[in-house]
Amino acid sequence: MAGRPIYRPSSFKNVERDGNVVGFSFDWKAQYYRSFTLSILRDLVIKVDGQEYNRDDISITVNGATFTLEECRTVVDPEYRWEFGEYATVTVLKEGGLSKGKHYIEAVQKIAPSYMPFVIEAPCNTEFEI
Amino acid sequence: MSDIKRCVSLYSYQDEFYLGKLDLEGCLRETAATGATGVELLAEQMIRKFPLPIETKDFRDQWFEWMKKYNLTPACYDAFLENHIYDNRTLTLKEQVNMMNRDIRLASLLGFPVLRTLVSTPMDVIEGSLPYAEEMGVKIGLEVHAPFSLNSGWADGYMEMIKRTGTKFFGFVPDMGIFCKNIPDVVRDKARRHGAKEECIKIVDDAYAKRVANGFTKIKYDLNLGKANMEYRMANGMAEMMDAVKAAGGGPADLEYAGSSFTYSWSEPQDIIDNIDYIFHTHAKFYNVHEDLEETAVALPEVIEAYKKAGYTGFLSSEYEGGEHLRADLDVDSIEQVRRHQAAMKKYIGK
Repeated sequence: MAGRPIYRPSSFKNVERDGNVVGFSFDWKAQYYRSFTLSILRDLVIKVDGQEYNRDDISITVNGATFTLEECRTVVDPEYRWEFGEYATVTVLKEGGLSKGKHYIEAVQKIAPSYMPFVIEAPCNTEFEI
Repeated sequence: MSDIKRCVSLYSYQDEFYLGKLDLEGCLRETAATGATGVELLAEQMIRKFPLPIETKDFRDQWFEWMKKYNLTPACYDAFLENHIYDNRTLTLKEQVNMMNRDIRLASLLGFPVLRTLVSTPMDVIEGSLPYAEEMGVKIGLEVHAPFSLNSGWADGYMEMIKRTGTKFFGFVPDMGIFCKNIPDVVRDKARRHGAKEECIKIVDDAYAKRVANGFTKIKYDLNLGKANMEYRMANGMAEMMDAVKAAGGGPADLEYAGSSFTYSWSEPQDIIDNIDYIFHTHAKFYNVHEDLEETAVALPEVIEAYKKAGYTGFLSSEYEGGEHLRADLDVDSIEQVRRHQAAMKKYIGK
């Protein structure tokens, strides 16, 4: 039995800025069947080893441009759709990043297609290694 | 003999596309390999940077070259009216009509004679788009997806609009999920894999069989789809069924199975015959076709018989939706599923 992969396994890594580790990042695919404007990405919930991160500390990168979740609310240009089947990079600010070794991520993608009477919540849980 | 034509909705190949095993051309090649002659496209699924490429001659030349190469005809363009594209307001009527007109234009640029719109499309947006649809020669088909149905209070509202305006450019796209005699076996198998109890599964299956035997209470027209859906579920005995599942010790997998049973419904195939003048295209939704070409949920032989009796000359478009019940735990083979479904339709159409 092999489920469909969500994350790019090799993508989990700490993020450095100016010589300091400021957080961690990973690549994943949207759990929905078509591309969409980031404006309907209502939220991302990111929890690693039981610790949930602040919404303000989460950003997403598509086609070379990075947006905070708050900024996503107004992103409607065709250049920055989250394309179906393509990876987007999530960066989470966390001083010092994550420790080397194994971790467990419990994340939720919240996507609100206009025709749905409710927001789609896709749980994306997996073990990973830094 | 029948003039019913076969089509594949590229939605069917979403798992292969997601994994990078098929690209747009690959999906068209697989469609042609099944013997289907029509293609249904979700532009937002398989064309990057939607809608920019469709505006370019290069992309359109490529598209029509593929149509020729694979001997395919554009049959239906699936649009998504993103009228809540911002989280703090609904687009105004004029904004929504402009968006619908944009999609009509995109459909026309790629040679599609029918645009599928969703049940969430307000009636006044459809009415506001009719002049442009007529000008472009693209018919707007409202998808009739479970829990909605033809011959219902919900459909009557649209029928009244058709009669009042006299339009020939608005009608319906039935989805065969409204002709499910059973809950699909892949949904039941998923519940079992996730730990559902046989006793609870039986409660849900018996309740479904009872709804089929007694007839479903139909959903009403309401712009608040969440409210309409909940009223529909309650009128069809959801509370009693949920109580019985809980009393039998049902856990999350049992409750998920019970809840999902309301995403399928049964309408009489006669509904197709009664409404044939307004049916522009059809989603031949399916969930699992076995090697012997038996689809276990949709009553394919009875439904196709109704289409034949009605003299339908449009497309029946394979729309595979079983993958979503497999992909968390198992591999999905959409290519084989579509192949079998096309073979099953060919058998029942009789040519």
